[in-house]
Amino acid sequence: MTARTVGVGIGADQLDTTDMVLNIGPQHPSTHGVLRLRLVLDGERIVSAEPIVGYMHRGAEKLFEVRDYRQIVMLANRHDWLSAFANELGVVLAVERMLGMEVPQRAVWARTLLAELNRVLNHLMFLGSYPLELGAITPIFHAFREREEIQAVMEEISGGRMHFMFNRVGGLKEDLPAGWIGRVRHAVATVRTRLSGLDDLVSGNEIFRARTRGVGVLTPALVAAYGVSGPIARASGVDFDLRRDEPYLAYGELADVLRVVTREEGDCLARFECLLEQVHVSLDLADACCDRLDELPQGPVNLRLPKVLKAPEGHTYAWTENPLGLNGYYLVSRGEKTPWRLKLRSASYNNVQVLTELLPGCLIADMVAILGSLFFVVGDIDK
Amino acid sequence: MKGLAKGLAVTLKTLTKRSVTQSYPEVLPELPPRSRGVIALFEENCTVCMLCARECPDWCIYIDSHKEVVPAREPGARDRTRNVLDRFAIDYALCMYCGICVEVCPFDALFWSPEFEYATDDILELTHEKDKLREWMWTVPPPPALDEHAEDPKELIQARKAVEKAEKAAAAARAAAAKAEENP
Repeated sequence: MTARTVGVGIGADQLDTTDMVLNIGPQHPSTHGVLRLRLVLDGERIVSAEPIVGYMHRGAEKLFEVRDYRQIVMLANRHDWLSAFANELGVVLAVERMLGMEVPQRAVWARTLLAELNRVLNHLMFLGSYPLELGAITPIFHAFREREEIQAVMEEISGGRMHFMFNRVGGLKEDLPAGWIGRVRHAVATVRTRLSGLDDLVSGNEIFRARTRGVGVLTPALVAAYGVSGPIARASGVDFDLRRDEPYLAYGELADVLRVVTREEGDCLARFECLLEQVHVSLDLADACCDRLDELPQGPVNLRLPKVLKAPEGHTYAWTENPLGLNGYYLVSRGEKTPWRLKLRSASYNNVQVLTELLPGCLIADMVAILGSLFFVVGDIDK
Repeated sequence: MKGLAKGLAVTLKTLTKRSVTQSYPEVLPELPPRSRGVIALFEENCTVCMLCARECPDWCIYIDSHKEVVPAREPGARDRTRNVLDRFAIDYALCMYCGICVEVCPFDALFWSPEFEYATDDILELTHEKDKLREWMWTVPPPPALDEHAEDPKELIQARKAVEKAEKAAAAARAAAAKAEENP
């Protein structure tokens, strides 16, 4: 497999190229977090790549088994720290389904709104950090200014900036503060007008395009083989979005606003464009939720729960379209106040596995472009 | 070249605008009342029921107490015992800021405060005792007003029910009185 150059004369043996093993990470500035890649190189070209995961394993699934459902919400929002609200949502949806609980209308719409705002927060983070990985420093400042607009409203309602801890079994923790919806509208409008600036700055840039177009092409067959999901899968033309294909929360009623963004190319640029356009869709969805929340009649946002909440015996699988892809919770209960097993399927774990197929044949310089374009959170890989 | 020009145009545009960053130690951030900065203890309300310590997902609340006998006030009555709080400490190095303790407290003794300036360089100093937690009570803001579509507060619903009940009773009494007048 290794190509050998045959040299004559002095230094001939040095000209022989042998494969070199290069470790990227676990603490490398280009890998956000502690993902380790074991690359075998032939010169500048990658021969094989293996993502080595688990440096941040916290045993979340095992911890779930000794926590009651309220405490699980706290643990569950931490595996993917950029989409805390969406993570909480999966747990409470699973428990509510087991209990056969009907959540009040206002809670359903408020949850949808918050989930979409969370998606914007998550995507803006990657829209800023991905150009940064490719050497463009400016976009991250723009992305973070936009993030701050949304952060402010999220902090006002939940009190947290990262781990919102706002979902409860049966609804939300507290009702919306007065005038909050107006402020959400304002934030959404501000972000929408400024987003074109970010778009111009990055996707119109020749250097950015040169480094991403045609690089790291992911085929639909690979998407299916590795269980890749979310914006990455949709950038390869896999038209699958749980919000449309298996509506949860209020997405069923938002079908005319919800546009599933897809691309055909499957390269790094397509993945970036998908992310950018999804932000626009999410902002539209957030606006639609605001309108609806204004129309809904007076009512509660949560249900009164028994002192000790026990899920009945049985099992269920709740999956949601998290910002980074499919997030699933398989809940098995034996009727105790803690789950017997709560299996977590996180998007990033499957998404990074495909690196084994994507990286071989690429140049080392493209590795960072491909790695960054898979939009993962290491906590979500290692759980 | 076009990309470069575009980038520089953005730079120029931003150059004319005010900066969005805050110079923190000089200008304090304005935090919303729900901000989860630190947990304050309203010691007078605590009955040492230990619910917070038990419900805490990572057991970062330490409570010590002893029982005290309150002698009977009147002759013939029994002596009462009551719990006295000796130690209430929260280890903020462990705390995950989930707020479950605040939520489960049945006597409203725990509150969130947006106060956040308590970083230290020694991890042991992050365990704060009850006097410090009591001090933070002064920084607890009133909760924000709720959305107009929010459910009315419990007290209002109860009061309304009580009024309805009283009105019904009064009407029934009036009807009964009228009946009694018709056929004496």
